[in-house]
Amino acid sequence: MKQPYLAAMHKQMNKKLKAHISRQKKKHAKWKTAPMSSDTLIQNGILTVAVLSTATVLALPFFFLGNNTASVAIIYILAVVFIARYTEGYIPGIISSFIGVICVNYVFTYPYMKIDFTLDGYPVTFFGMIMISSIISTMTSHLKVQNRIINEREKLLMEAEKETMRANLLRAISHDLRTPLTGIIGTSSTYIENQETLSEKEKMALVQNIYDDSNWLLNMVENLLTITRIRANADPIHKTSELLEEVVSEAVQRFRKRLPNAQVKVRIPDDFIMLPMDATLIEQVLINLLENAYYHGSSDQPIQLNISVEEDFACFEIMDFGPGIPPDKLPVIFDGSPSTPNQSGDSRKGMGIGLTICKTIITAHGGEIQARNHKSGAAFLFRLPLETTADYENDGLSENDL
Amino acid sequence: MNLKPTVIVIEDEKSICSFIETTLTAHQYKVLAAATGQEGLSLITSGFPDLILLDLGLPDIDGLDIIRQVRGWSVIPIIVISARTQENEKVLALDSGADDYITKPFGTSELLARIRTALRHHHLNGGGALTRPEPVYSFDGLNIDFSKRLVTLNDEEIHLTQIEYKLVSLLAKNAGRVLTYDYIINHIWGPYADNNNNQILRVNMAHIRRKLEANPAEPHYIFTEIGVGYRMRESQV
Repeated sequence: MKQPYLAAMHKQMNKKLKAHISRQKKKHAKWKTAPMSSDTLIQNGILTVAVLSTATVLALPFFFLGNNTASVAIIYILAVVFIARYTEGYIPGIISSFIGVICVNYVFTYPYMKIDFTLDGYPVTFFGMIMISSIISTMTSHLKVQNRIINEREKLLMEAEKETMRANLLRAISHDLRTPLTGIIGTSSTYIENQETLSEKEKMALVQNIYDDSNWLLNMVENLLTITRIRANADPIHKTSELLEEVVSEAVQRFRKRLPNAQVKVRIPDDFIMLPMDATLIEQVLINLLENAYYHGSSDQPIQLNISVEEDFACFEIMDFGPGIPPDKLPVIFDGSPSTPNQSGDSRKGMGIGLTICKTIITAHGGEIQARNHKSGAAFLFRLPLETTADYENDGLSENDL
Repeated sequence: MNLKPTVIVIEDEKSICSFIETTLTAHQYKVLAAATGQEGLSLITSGFPDLILLDLGLPDIDGLDIIRQVRGWSVIPIIVISARTQENEKVLALDSGADDYITKPFGTSELLARIRTALRHHHLNGGGALTRPEPVYSFDGLNIDFSKRLVTLNDEEIHLTQIEYKLVSLLAKNAGRVLTYDYIINHIWGPYADNNNNQILRVNMAHIRRKLEANPAEPHYIFTEIGVGYRMRESQV
């Protein structure tokens, strides 16, 4: 008989609550509180009623067994804390603390079912209870609001960071695209305007320049396509099981086709190694790193591509024998920042977006990539996780007569 | 041959089309160009081509439909021109009857080599002429004598298992052409083999590579086209 009464009282309260909350909304507009929908309101109401009812039920044994009003009051305070914690805004908390005080007075203290503040000592208890529960409920709701503000700020910061990254990437891309285009336009216009005066040899050199620059452009565009391939799919990447030597050989073949003068030495374990990967993407990584080694290494010694297996990873190491990476660039080499602007404008040697893309791809495969300097040049190392199941092992490879 | 072979180019991109036309004309081919699929189809029926170069991304008809239509009545070699990122389309095109594919962007020499290969295989496989298939394959030290079932590398005999020999000879008889996983599995293990699992094929190819190639990571004779199939180097006989 207590429950329906409480519920009815609560309905009334809820009406007031609504009005109150709409006022609160205006008040706290500067906090960007999410507008309280009727859904949240109903949720708050239900929660409040449920918690208060539970508290009443829990309080009954204390009352009947020991007539212990202090315990009853504490149970109600606890209920108020719960309500303040799990509802939106601090109105439900304050309201429920009122209800709690009235309940204790009305239901659990003599004279039962009557409000009586005249009893000795009780006003202090009631007053204290109201104070405690109001303070707790306002404090928790304040905390929640502050948390939300912090979260929102963090979100804003992250978005800003993303925006800068995108801007950096775009700047790097346009920078990297413009340089070969400038070369192509300049060279071809030289050819067109000076056809009569140029010797055959000079003409050949000009056309060769155009050819080289377009190849460079092509690689750039393929890199960009690779990015869209990663970004377009919501799920990270589509991996299939590939035979290591096949992927490596195709990458090296494509690299050789693009740069026939480049020399590469490939070393690969003799075992039958399967790796889960998106082969197109990993080939792109290998080609990017090989091309980097070719353009930056600029030495007569062949580039080395060494592949080894370490525990659960396949390690790919690309080594060149050139000047190495400037130490101040090592920590930021994968960040995609365009090569420092005050450096001589030979952007062909700028690493541009290639390395950023490598890192994105390797990370998406659950691997890692590092850059370092060895004794006589630069080295890039990346690891890819091996297939977890060893289904294909010993698939007749033991009879291999090498 | 005293007659110029006729090549039909179906490609909607003008600059690519004109570059192909210039190259092929300079190399003694007669070129007919079409910018749309419809135009291409009518050219094919009226122009008696020896070979078709087909771009898959046409504005009006799906390139695959053209392949199927032409294959309905003719075995004219078809070479598909495709972009790099379309592995699935390549495989579909090859399995629908295309003879080979070439990936954009491509160089002149690559294009001419593909055309020569396709034309030669067409003539070998009874494209009218009475020539017999070559009895041997030979490239840079690797020799295969199909009648003796003998494979030698630098004059040393290579021991291959039954399956491995079948694989090598299938690739060698189609040297220069790409063979898809499905095609190879159908020919070696029969039509009831599990086509979705090309693991057994890869394992066998890995064995062959270790027997034939000095460095499996830098193959000299048999190349992998990831996601598509395998291609063996042209014979030099």
